[in-house]
Amino acid sequence: MGLLSILRKLKSAPDQEVRILLLGLDNAGKTTLLKQLASEDISHITPTQGFNIKSVQSQGFKLNVWDIGGQRKIRPYWKNYFENTDILELAELLEEEKLSCVPVLIFANKQDLLTAAPASEIAEGLNLHTIRDRVWQIQSCSALTGEGVQDGMNWVCKNVNAKKK
Amino acid sequence: MKHFLRMLIQVCLYFYCKFLWRCLKFVMRKLTGRCELQRICYNTKPGASRTMKIETSLRDSKSKLLQTSVSVHPDAIEKTIEDIMELKKINPDVNPQLGISLQACLLQIVGYRNLIADVEKLRREPYDSDNPQHEEMLLKLWKFLKPNTPLESRISKQWCEIGFQGDDPKTDFRGMGLLGLYNLQYFAERDATAAQQVLSDSLHPKCSKFSKAEWEKKRMDKAIGYSFAIVGINITDLAYNLLVSGALKTHFYNIAPEAPTLSHFQQTFCYLMHEFHKFWIEEDPMDIMEFNRVREKFRKRIIKQLQNPDMALCPHFAASEGLINM
Repeated sequence: MGLLSILRKLKSAPDQEVRILLLGLDNAGKTTLLKQLASEDISHITPTQGFNIKSVQSQGFKLNVWDIGGQRKIRPYWKNYFENTDILELAELLEEEKLSCVPVLIFANKQDLLTAAPASEIAEGLNLHTIRDRVWQIQSCSALTGEGVQDGMNWVCKNVNAKKK
Repeated sequence: MKHFLRMLIQVCLYFYCKFLWRCLKFVMRKLTGRCELQRICYNTKPGASRTMKIETSLRDSKSKLLQTSVSVHPDAIEKTIEDIMELKKINPDVNPQLGISLQACLLQIVGYRNLIADVEKLRREPYDSDNPQHEEMLLKLWKFLKPNTPLESRISKQWCEIGFQGDDPKTDFRGMGLLGLYNLQYFAERDATAAQQVLSDSLHPKCSKFSKAEWEKKRMDKAIGYSFAIVGINITDLAYNLLVSGALKTHFYNIAPEAPTLSHFQQTFCYLMHEFHKFWIEEDPMDIMEFNRVREKFRKRIIKQLQNPDMALCPHFAASEGLINM
């Protein structure tokens, strides 16, 4: 097996690209989550004006994660990013047509705080069990310590296939 | 294997160059009768170009005394200079100017390092709403920016008017900690007219370009401006990174005759806010979503400017009057 054949093999199976939208209220920890995914330093985070984007490799997928500012003023712009989105991570947007059938992952962040609500409580609060038209998952995590973040991404990789079929 | 050989060649080349450099220094010393520090002081003009050369020379020196001299306590500088003069066998009576020049350089070098430590300490201190001092500063910020509008309560939607994200600014300081608040307050207090102008422009920067009717229509579509306070915190991040990476050395070595202090840093912040605002209007972005692109372009431009050893981010407004000397 030569170098050439390896190269050819790589070329014939390009990484599948997945677009992930990360949405949420301001100070929810979206940018921290993004930096944690990209294994970057999380101690210098400033509020997001506009958006950040990072590409992460995971299980043969190229995850393009879009982190969009959560400030009320910016929320009207969210809809510009809905086109071609494969995974979504917030609940209120389920009504949006452009996003129909897009799997939803909800991160119940800041679980490192004692006062954080457990994932089950949040699921109830958001009435997640009423969602019928798409797959969804709630994942408790802490973007600060990185706990649970990878589990969430594993779920993403598994469910992207389901959506594409 | 190929990779290993290439690395080996690079290592050899490095030592070879280092050896050549040492030889050259030795020959120069014999020819001119002066050591490298003396040659730098006599041949380059004071300011960033001289101080930066001295810094490299001291750091790369093989003598322990010279290596450690860049991190001595400011009070020990005079003694260190004496030691260096003695080590280099320079007679202070024959070269009176040298000691003074060296001392000025060393003060700047040590000062810059201490400034990084001070700034880092402020950055690491999170905003604490139980601390009355922090609270007072925050309320002052409001007063300076909006002298004619009283704040109705500590937790209020009004904070959004000066560009915070929600009704309580405390979460917005995040990664920049108190440093963000210090900078914003300094800008609003010392350069009040400019700060208020930037704030009002940031709410609708394109106002002048449109007729009133057109403007009204446009504003219906979307808010074109940016959030003053949030951008301030982001520019603090920019200033902080420029400082830590050493890019601001050119600026501080050119403007601060002795050790640069926190207020020098804050003036730099004011300057950056000013310039960013101008840059934002020049760039004429579609909307706030382009912020990170514009900010990156701005950062590259500032870094390019700072590569010129004669550059000073020349503050040309009220906050820094009477500070430019040298």
